[in-house]
Amino acid sequence: MLRYIGQRLAAMAITLFLIISISFFVLHAMPGSIVGDDPMIPQEVRKAIEAKYHLDKPLPVQYGYFLKDFLSFEFGTSLKVQPRVPVFNIIAEKLPITLQLNIFSLILTVPLGITFGIIAALKKNTRIDHTISTLTIFFISVPSFVFAAVMQYYMAFKWDLVPILLSTEPTLTWTKFKSMILPILSLSFSGIAGITRYMRAELCDALNSEYMLLAKTKGLSQVQATVKHAIRNSFIPLANIIVPMFLGILGGSMVVENIFSIPGTGSLMVRSINALDHPLSIAVLFFYSLIGLISILLVDLSYGIIDPRIRIGGRK
Amino acid sequence: MENREKVLQIKDLYITFNTFSGKVHAVRGVNFDLHKGETLAIVGESGSGKSVTNKTIMGILAKNANIEKGEILYNGKDLTKFNDKEFTKIRGSEISMIFQDPMSSLDPVMKIGKQITEAMLVKGNITKEEAKKKAIKLMGAVGIPHPEKRYEQYPFQFSGGMRQRIVIAIALACDPDILICDEPTTALDVTIQAQILDLIKEIQKERQISVIFITHDLGVVANMADRVAVMYAGKIVETGTVDEIFYDPKHPYTWSLLASMPDLDTDATDELLVIPGTPPNMLYPPKGDAFAPRNRYAMEIDFKEEPPMFRVSDTHYAATWLLHPSAPKIDMPDALKIRIEKQQERQVLQNETN
Repeated sequence: MLRYIGQRLAAMAITLFLIISISFFVLHAMPGSIVGDDPMIPQEVRKAIEAKYHLDKPLPVQYGYFLKDFLSFEFGTSLKVQPRVPVFNIIAEKLPITLQLNIFSLILTVPLGITFGIIAALKKNTRIDHTISTLTIFFISVPSFVFAAVMQYYMAFKWDLVPILLSTEPTLTWTKFKSMILPILSLSFSGIAGITRYMRAELCDALNSEYMLLAKTKGLSQVQATVKHAIRNSFIPLANIIVPMFLGILGGSMVVENIFSIPGTGSLMVRSINALDHPLSIAVLFFYSLIGLISILLVDLSYGIIDPRIRIGGRK
Repeated sequence: MENREKVLQIKDLYITFNTFSGKVHAVRGVNFDLHKGETLAIVGESGSGKSVTNKTIMGILAKNANIEKGEILYNGKDLTKFNDKEFTKIRGSEISMIFQDPMSSLDPVMKIGKQITEAMLVKGNITKEEAKKKAIKLMGAVGIPHPEKRYEQYPFQFSGGMRQRIVIAIALACDPDILICDEPTTALDVTIQAQILDLIKEIQKERQISVIFITHDLGVVANMADRVAVMYAGKIVETGTVDEIFYDPKHPYTWSLLASMPDLDTDATDELLVIPGTPPNMLYPPKGDAFAPRNRYAMEIDFKEEPPMFRVSDTHYAATWLLHPSAPKIDMPDALKIRIEKQQERQVLQNETN
């Protein structure tokens, strides 16, 4: 097991290295310079700034400097978004609100998705199932920012039920929570739909399985057999999508955070890219990738706990 | 045999399935009785309605199935009128079933022990310890070594044959009177097959339960059954004791089945018959005898009118016009006759050496 985790961590390190390398080159391939083309900046100052950030050197040399800093955990300071503040601090400051949103959204997403999925599977090919499945496809297909904009317009602007933008209070109060409702909802819809669809498919499979037939012929009622055998079995593959869903929500929040002007990591990413603030962009990207890889690792490891076939079968 | 107690009576059972292309007539008027403590084998090719008949007895037909008419009498009650709740009461404790594929019929993430005791505990009036004791005893009885240790294991830690033993233990957990075996050895290799068949035989003798054995393997039938029912296109075409079916078959379909099966005496000079054509499409059940188009002894009437069950002896019935008094005398094919003679000779030899 330890060896397996070690292998996975090594693979993760290689993946991260590739991600930051590619993002370094992609970001530096963007047109424009951080110094800008302001004619008021004297030539010497421009030269000095470029020299300070090694921008006067060829790209491979810059990459060398970048790697050297990165490997010593020197992520650098922000250049433009919050000049001279270490990027690590900026992310740490923006993270709580993003996490709050995502956790609330997960709390909403997982139980609702599972419930709808179970209902749809049990009522397969009835009107209820068709309704749920149609809605599911609708909510999967429409991107979250469309919901965000539509809900913002109607629920907040027209009907005045909730605030239009996120409240700026530093702590989680009732007013702040109220202003978080719309972002949470718009982040959750596609997740709920995704889990519903997956749960329905898995449960339908399990309901038609031979072990359900045996469970029934040995004397369990349909309800007992469904709860004890079918649902239990369909939960296992579900772990496969719930953990990465956390990631999906992180990614989706980039746009949604901008719509509701939430000062989270998503909007930070967008701003840093627009401002050509490369150290910050790479740091945020690195952070996203790290969370992603860790969650995938957790999925794989969690299988060892929930699935006895791997838990016991994997032991040598 | 006839005066033994009848535990199950199936009368004129007719089952159809609604499909996109129309109504499939899967079972078209099946009649048979099951006596206490006997093994009835139902043979027939795929799609002849063997499994459907037995799924009806268990009440586990697919949702698109309709019981058009007929009744299944068990303890004076008609099972075709049962709802799922009533079926739940008798499943396991009165009628139980073993399926074809032991690899998929156990819940992969539940411990073996729990799967065996589950139904006992649901049926009530037994404590957890008693259930566990009983399960371990059962596991021993079906030939699982170290049952105490195996009790705590998962299905993936068992081989195919062991899993089928567990499935049998599960089916027996609530002491049923009737055990339906739906091709229990098809998915197993030959040596394991023999072990499982011996096990079922042994259990049947010990517990005096009635067994319905569905198979398309005639060798298994000869080994297991007391009586045989041959099904073709949703109907029973011939029924009789094992000896009657194997040594004195009357229906041309039974002839063809027996003549198409190689046995130990078959050598290069023997002829194996082939049944030409394919079974009829049950979306459009044929008029007359369903086997007529593939039957080289078919007469004009076979295409026009369905033959009734003709009585050969008290236990032996066959549905073929050849048994009608005014039908021409036709004997079974020579190849089959020679084979049966050889088999009988061998039987005699065996009995002598024993």
